[in-house]
Amino acid sequence: MNWRALLLRHETVLALLLAAGLAFLSSASDRFLTLDNILNQARLMTEVGLIALAMTFVIVTGGIDLSVGSIVGVVAILLGVLWQNVGLPLPLAIVLALAIGTLCGLVNGLIITRFKVPPLIATLATLALYRGLAEGISQARSVRGYPDWFLVFGQGQMMGIPVQVWLLIAAAILAACILGLSVFGRSTYAIGSNEIAARFSGIAVDRTKILIYSASGLCAALAAVIFVSRVTTTRSDMGSGWELDAITAVVLGGTSIFGGRGTIMGTALGLALMQALKNGLLLKGYKGDSTIILIGAALILTVLLSNLVPMLSGLAARRQQA
Amino acid sequence: MIRISLALALSMSVVGLAHAASTWTGGDDLPTNPLACDATPATAAAQPYNGGTVTGAPDRKGKPIKVVDVPKLIGIGYFNATSKGIADAAKELGNVDAKTDGPTKANIDEQITFIDNYITSGVDGILFAANDPVAIAPVLKKALSKGINVVGYDANSTPDARQWFVNQAEFNGIAKALVDNMAKETGEDAGVAIVTSTFTTPNQARWISEMAAYAAKCHPKLKLLETVEAQEDNALSFSQATTLINKYGSDLKGIFGMTSVATPASAEAVTQAGQCGKVAVVGLATPNAMKPYVAKDCVKSVVLWNPVDLGYAAMYVLRATADGTLKPGDTKVKAGKLGELNVINGSEILLGAPFVFTKDNIGKFDF
Repeated sequence: MNWRALLLRHETVLALLLAAGLAFLSSASDRFLTLDNILNQARLMTEVGLIALAMTFVIVTGGIDLSVGSIVGVVAILLGVLWQNVGLPLPLAIVLALAIGTLCGLVNGLIITRFKVPPLIATLATLALYRGLAEGISQARSVRGYPDWFLVFGQGQMMGIPVQVWLLIAAAILAACILGLSVFGRSTYAIGSNEIAARFSGIAVDRTKILIYSASGLCAALAAVIFVSRVTTTRSDMGSGWELDAITAVVLGGTSIFGGRGTIMGTALGLALMQALKNGLLLKGYKGDSTIILIGAALILTVLLSNLVPMLSGLAARRQQA
Repeated sequence: MIRISLALALSMSVVGLAHAASTWTGGDDLPTNPLACDATPATAAAQPYNGGTVTGAPDRKGKPIKVVDVPKLIGIGYFNATSKGIADAAKELGNVDAKTDGPTKANIDEQITFIDNYITSGVDGILFAANDPVAIAPVLKKALSKGINVVGYDANSTPDARQWFVNQAEFNGIAKALVDNMAKETGEDAGVAIVTSTFTTPNQARWISEMAAYAAKCHPKLKLLETVEAQEDNALSFSQATTLINKYGSDLKGIFGMTSVATPASAEAVTQAGQCGKVAVVGLATPNAMKPYVAKDCVKSVVLWNPVDLGYAAMYVLRATADGTLKPGDTKVKAGKLGELNVINGSEILLGAPFVFTKDNIGKFDF
């Protein structure tokens, strides 16, 4: 890849946009570019971040997972119920809760691959189903009074950096390696580019998809555990709307909603840009509603830019050849 | 409803957790204190201060301060009224720069993030109405530890996470007003239902507990059929109320609306079902939203306090806290045009008795 192609990549465009945004926001408020604030923002975006990492895989295959917010709800509730009402030790409850989240994702994967239900419909259905389960199981009672050691996941620090940020970084590196370097990652792209061709090439399409949706469930479950630890309570409405935040970050990061294109680096940049806008504008004195408008505008702008730049350069290249 | 019952059935079979399907009314599990059936006022025992303490706060006495108000959500009439009260008080005080900002949905996550960001932006004071008393506590404690004065209104947090809480009306007082008016309209022997926001919303849950306790004590024949959740969502409240009317038919004699959104939506549902006069609606709501239904005689009593006064009082309490004129152990606080307000329950400031809007007086109010 030559420097020119590198410059025209969506990630590069986005990184430049992010840098410009950061420069502007830090000049607008002296509290923005402080270590304290940046670490805190990283802490606040961990939950949606984890979900977005798995969502990148899902969208690269040309799918979508709308049920992740509801999985957060059901896992959070089950964590609390298994611990307090059933009386399991909390570590065991955490492991079980993660397993249940994975199971929720597995169910999505099975519905999509075995019954050929489009991912949009399948996960729209489980969005309602899992949220209903969360409400039904919780009977709208909150579980509170978690022990101090558990609160470390959401509120603690390790070497001066919030615990969950380490987790997010580790998960991001792992996800980037799998998607970018492994055979599994190549299969993921192949499925998203042309599923039929992928099948004829001998790629285990269904197995790959099931694994990806299961991983999406696991990430949502992990996010749920961290969120419960951060807010020290469980509620059945936890995580509602997070699926849209995660999808926004992934699409902002240059992953094509039609599949076949996208990187973890892009998602990370998309996440950072969203969080920086939300935080920086508020610090500058803008209210919450104007932030939502700006994120919407940024989304449209970056998608337009990333579509426009390759198109223009393609035109230029063709003219040179002619 | 289908979704919830399906979910219930599934959760019972799939998970197999014997999480007994008790008749959950949406109340909390805290002890109740029902008032006397007649108008005898309650006797309150003095309690020591149980609020939180702010650390490392600079001397703010008489100095200009920057305050942010983060209600449960923005864009509904009720919180527009409280933020108007806050703005009025800030203008009157002259040395306060107050602004309201918050989520557009009653959502714990977004509210916490807003407060967290305002802590970073460097405010002197935070006013809040909690979506969840426990979930909001860590971020409020963070504010206190950074020297920010924290005062709640409308919906409380755990007491140690804020300095003071301005209580619009005592829970048992509201419960009495609602249940008494309902019994008056439907008769003693009636089936009633409740439309609330969510079961975990602290003040709604508290009112429901107190209502159940007061009804059991003073109107034992009143039968609570069901409590349904409707967030603070207009369309959902309407459909939930319609479902109740269809489900219980003539067994349903009254609907309690527990939020300023649920009450007018329930009144609309009763009107559209042609049940005016057959199904009573008694609830908490702002007068402007209820005027059409009161004018049509579809609704006879609307219970509330004045939310503009609530915001106004909260702002005065925050200023007094920042100035150091309101200290732990005090029993009264001056609140501008409202005069002196009493301290109750250790660290709460009572706005006053609830107010019942009827056809005779509702025209005098505009909020």
